[in-house]
Amino acid sequence: MPDNVSRIDRRAFLKLSAGALGAAALGPGALQAAEADEEKKLYEAAKKEGKVVWWTSHYQLSAAEAVRDAFKAKYPGVDVEFIRQTAQVIFQRLNQNLKAGVKELDVFASTDESHYLKLKGQGVLAAHKPLGVNHLPKQFQNIDPDNTYHLGALAFVVINHHSSVSPVPQKWTDLHDPKWQGQITLGHPGFSGYVGNWVVAMWDKYGWDYFTALAKNKPKIGRSIFDTVTDIVGGERKVGAGPENQSLESKAKGNPIDIKFPADDAVLVISPVGILKDAPHPNAGRLFESFFYSKEYSQAIAKTFNYPLRSDVPAPTGVAIEKLKYYRNKADRLDKGIPEAIEKWRETFGV
Amino acid sequence: MAESVGSAGGAPALPSAVRKLDPSAAVFGAAALILIFLVVVPLAWIFVASVHSDADETLTLSNYVRAFSRSIYLEPIRNSLVLATAAAVLATFFGTVLSWAVSRTDMPGRGLIRVMVFAAFATPSFLGATAWIFLAAPNSGWLNKIWIAISGAERGPFNIYSLTGAILVIALYSFPYTFAFASSALELVPSDMERSAALLGARWPRITWRITLPLVRPAILAGALLSFLEAIAEFGTPAFLLIPAGKQVITTQLYLFFQYPSRPNLAAAYAVPLLLVTASLFLLQQRLLKKGRFTSIGGKGGVREPFRLGGWRWPLLAVCLVPTVCSLVLPYTALLLTSLSRAWGRGPVPGNLTTQWYRWALVENAAARAAIGHSLSYAAAAATIATVLALFTAYVAQRRLVPGSRLLAFVAMAPFVVPGIILAIGFFSAYARPPLVLYGTAWMLIVAFATRFLPIAYSGTESALRGIDVELENAARTLGSSTLRTFWRITLPLLRRSIVATWLAAFIPSLRELSSAVFLFTPSTAVITNVIFDLSDAGNFEPVSALGVLMMALTFGLIALAYRLFGRTVLFSRGRG
Repeated sequence: MPDNVSRIDRRAFLKLSAGALGAAALGPGALQAAEADEEKKLYEAAKKEGKVVWWTSHYQLSAAEAVRDAFKAKYPGVDVEFIRQTAQVIFQRLNQNLKAGVKELDVFASTDESHYLKLKGQGVLAAHKPLGVNHLPKQFQNIDPDNTYHLGALAFVVINHHSSVSPVPQKWTDLHDPKWQGQITLGHPGFSGYVGNWVVAMWDKYGWDYFTALAKNKPKIGRSIFDTVTDIVGGERKVGAGPENQSLESKAKGNPIDIKFPADDAVLVISPVGILKDAPHPNAGRLFESFFYSKEYSQAIAKTFNYPLRSDVPAPTGVAIEKLKYYRNKADRLDKGIPEAIEKWRETFGV
Repeated sequence: MAESVGSAGGAPALPSAVRKLDPSAAVFGAAALILIFLVVVPLAWIFVASVHSDADETLTLSNYVRAFSRSIYLEPIRNSLVLATAAAVLATFFGTVLSWAVSRTDMPGRGLIRVMVFAAFATPSFLGATAWIFLAAPNSGWLNKIWIAISGAERGPFNIYSLTGAILVIALYSFPYTFAFASSALELVPSDMERSAALLGARWPRITWRITLPLVRPAILAGALLSFLEAIAEFGTPAFLLIPAGKQVITTQLYLFFQYPSRPNLAAAYAVPLLLVTASLFLLQQRLLKKGRFTSIGGKGGVREPFRLGGWRWPLLAVCLVPTVCSLVLPYTALLLTSLSRAWGRGPVPGNLTTQWYRWALVENAAARAAIGHSLSYAAAAATIATVLALFTAYVAQRRLVPGSRLLAFVAMAPFVVPGIILAIGFFSAYARPPLVLYGTAWMLIVAFATRFLPIAYSGTESALRGIDVELENAARTLGSSTLRTFWRITLPLLRRSIVATWLAAFIPSLRELSSAVFLFTPSTAVITNVIFDLSDAGNFEPVSALGVLMMALTFGLIALAYRLFGRTVLFSRGRG
């Protein structure tokens, strides 16, 4: 089995390189033809495997379901088995599986970029260049030069607030105002990759004092970043550090919630996707990862209010990502920063 | 030979010549081996793991030093002790009042209260905790909103995200222990002394306080200890209610030790003292029960008359309805309404009603659908293993068929004192590494559930066996039948009904088990409780409620079936959830 896979790999890689060279010589038409050919082969092999297993923390449940449905519509005969859980939880489960030698996962999709550095270090990720990855905006291509992982989703941590709140907090530091005592909701960096990204960003911008001051307002600590949306929609809390995707989806359904891109920067969460070396369904995994760069994928996630990966699909906010002002953590900073932040968070907030 | 067996008094030993020729020794030997695999190895692994370093597996005591010197690890222990003590006190109070009212008074609705107590017992407290979030979250809880609407106050009085909230919820689902112990003792206490006191002019409150309750004190204390054990081992409720409050308890801290980078050996060291505490409390409880049994035997022949409460009958019923309404009526209403809502925050208003979450759980979501199937099949497999194993072990122990059979009985009962989360750590340490990797397969959960609920199956089978006359077996053996054949042809048919009851008693708690499942599943082996726990983290309250309602519908459906088939006896088999 492993031999088979690597042979397909090598062949695929040669084809692709040949395709790329050909494209350089002959223009985009040839590249597309080579890709279509490759896609067909992957699809045939994937159909034999029957399904792909995908663990994701990229977006809310409804978005993951939309991706599954779009994939199954495009590739009938290949089932998608997925779970949606917070980044640290799926990462822990993956490590537990790796330690025990359990092989069940094909595609790992976390919201903590540093997970991929650790997995790469352990040598468990398969190097693979998905089809269509060139459709990504330039600044998000090749986030790993060795091709063990690629961009899978883009999201922001922004200020979330109940629609009754006025005036709306403009900056992250506005949450220190004592009027928010008992009215703030947060996720937990020990569970959520979004929250981990946000905590490291605030820590680097304002120092840890940002959180000691925030703790005085006695925020409610959930687990996932999406807990904040539930709290605000349900009227349990008024403001929070939440996501943009589920909040906008909830707002569109008529719920009393809105978001604010803060003046001191929304935090961009780079959510990568990668395939395991010993994936039980390697071809279905590759087909599924390549699907991330299709128009259908971008449409599916945009429909559920996530930023599309391709520029030919309009953004749900109406503002293209290039026009936004945001803060982006470096992967190696997250690598050390998130585990440290979890420890410090425990001291500051008690959990 | 029949002569000598009869004189042995209920536990006859076979002559060694017969035993030697018998192939049954091999069968019972296999049962002993399975017990070692299910109970001894995982528990031994906890101790072995606790003295090994997580980094390089060398022998060390540093895990104990680390676990019990840092304040962030000591604080959860303090919280757990406060939580368990307060929950046990409260549960004992509810349990005692209700059992007294149901067993010793002429209060109306006694049968209803009894059924409701049982329903509270069958409900896992993490589901109750979820429902209580809808009811009593500080700002959005329905009870708080109603309070604000009525009183015009700024804020409601309830805050479920607090130690008090968690104490209340756990007490609401553990008072049935005291109820079960106290009511079975109360039903045996004779009324002669009470009547004498009444003749001397004492009224019922004084008689109850000075005579009735002291007589059943050992049973009440035994129930209190069981509630304490239950509360300190609880994982779901603290995870749902105390993490938002910024508080950790022992079990949630153990969960954190398993987060990346996981430190299972440190977790084992952290768990060992808890294990020692629960084990010694259980031994204490057993001693208390023995004393209690002594008291009650004296009164078995006496006449029992209920207290005539007169005008106090209805107020007492009102008091008894408080814990049952809080553990059943309110939470199930909340769960049902939420499961039928598009968005729970909008409340039960027209336009917010939908059955989409049931369709989601049963049709659309493959993971949820698979989990329902897993729950049913794993629980059935676990209950079957536990029942068969309990049958063999109890038979061997009761009839003293092999030397050391008492030890076998002790091993079968041992998991009773092991909190689910700690049992899971033992299973993980033992069977997530070669030579035997069960982790990642259904067997990991099946054997863990079987082990966890083996004591329930064992105690059920043991008491059933005690009720069978050995004369029939002896007759068969005298006529030349082997032990195995006798067991198959005589004992088993006599036990048929109680075997099914035992099976259900192990099946039902397996169906709703969370605390061990949360460590042992992988997404491809997830059960309903895993999916509920996973979904709850992103505030997906509507699908969580739908799954919870489905799980309890299955549970209550089975209980109703069991009740039809076996009557009341099946309802009050004691077990832990």
